[in-house]
Amino acid sequence: MNYIFTILLSFFLLIPSVRAQEDAYSYMDTDEYPGEVLEISPEEFEELLHPPSDLADNDPFESINRVTFGVNNFLDDVLLDPVSAMYVGVVPEFLRERVGYFLRNLSEPIVLVNNILQGEMQDAEDTLRRFAINSTVGLGGILDVSTDLDIPYKREDFGLTLASWGFEEGPYIVLPILGPSNLRDTIGRIGDYGFDSINWWAYFTDDNALYSYTRTAAQVLDSRSDNIDIIKDLKENSLDPYGAFRTWYTERRRNLSSKNEGRIIETAQPEDEDEEVLEDDEY
Amino acid sequence: MKKVVFTLFSFLTWIHIAHAETNCEAAKTFMSDMGENVISLLTNQSISDKERADQFRIILETQFNLKAIGKFVLGRYWKQASDEEKQTFLNLFKEATVATYASRFKDYTSEKFEIRSCHVEPDGGVIVSSQIARPSGQTIPINWKIFEKKGEMRVYDVILEGISMGITQRSEFSSVIQNGGGKLEALNKALEKKTSQS
Repeated sequence: MNYIFTILLSFFLLIPSVRAQEDAYSYMDTDEYPGEVLEISPEEFEELLHPPSDLADNDPFESINRVTFGVNNFLDDVLLDPVSAMYVGVVPEFLRERVGYFLRNLSEPIVLVNNILQGEMQDAEDTLRRFAINSTVGLGGILDVSTDLDIPYKREDFGLTLASWGFEEGPYIVLPILGPSNLRDTIGRIGDYGFDSINWWAYFTDDNALYSYTRTAAQVLDSRSDNIDIIKDLKENSLDPYGAFRTWYTERRRNLSSKNEGRIIETAQPEDEDEEVLEDDEY
Repeated sequence: MKKVVFTLFSFLTWIHIAHAETNCEAAKTFMSDMGENVISLLTNQSISDKERADQFRIILETQFNLKAIGKFVLGRYWKQASDEEKQTFLNLFKEATVATYASRFKDYTSEKFEIRSCHVEPDGGVIVSSQIARPSGQTIPINWKIFEKKGEMRVYDVILEGISMGITQRSEFSSVIQNGGGKLEALNKALEKKTSQS
């Protein structure tokens, strides 16, 4: 149960703040990976990394996923939604924010491990400073002093680390209770669970398991209250909520991944059937 | 020969980029005007829902390229559809968008719309970055993809927190069409049902 809630956190606490980072392709140019890696052209590499643009093609388990999605929605409706609505209704925003920052501070060590694994030493330093400042001056994390000092929180998790190492997303998967994921991020969640010092602490001192459970429960509540608008919106305004969640999750993860820093998003183009054909050939 | 072609190619690309740079600032102005318009419209509590929807529709028709967006979100199904189906779809698509967005921001009251920056993309379009600042202090980043054609600027995509609405809708629509036996008709029916509800 503890495990489930911890990984639930890693999914729900997705915070969309991506900062400029090294291009993941750059490792191809180093001497560390000679030979076969360099035999792939960047274009081919790009093609390998990017799943088909039509997301439906990346969902071989769609029929099973849809069933899981339905069950998850049912659980949301009867359990999570009412509880988080109550939390939002009863607890004032100021306090909810304190709880949110406190929990996020506890998860900074996981971010740190991932910064190091990605080889992003500047980020690692920032995370370490954040954790040190917020844990002390920020009164154990309830105040986010670091952000005011211009060291904003930057989410990382092992799924994103795997992405930076060049792992593909793999097929889209809806996990029971946890919701949208893909093969890579599912493995990532298991990794993050291992990086979480609180879990180890709870594991080695049986008496402290209760703290660990309390934390995970609080995390779920906190992340739910944060995301309640977007979840509601996706459910209510979409013709096919399953497809909407699939896109939302996939696009969000791509956006968070440093590999896609500065990526060009494919969009509609001006009509080019007639006189503009020539002009388009220029590039 | 190759060299000549390459030089010519670079030159043309350069002209294109140089031309696009001037578009960048113009696109910012364009977005800033429209953003103010939309925000004041969506947050104006004194007009009725119907008036709000009507005015929002006018903005969509005049400031967005709905045909290009419609074509994009249908993807491969656009080519397979008859002209009549396409027309029906474009109308329903517009109405569904009006219905969704006119009601989505009902709770917004004192939001601020700010233009942040702009840059030219390799495809010749301009991305204008903006954000909506909510009274709670939360900011929502929104990027707008703008192309200029025949001297007129139009929005071609809205990218909300890094997520393209065009791609989101294309995926959603293709899933509806696939589950409806690969027919555009299935999507049109679903859109019709949705617009008649609201």
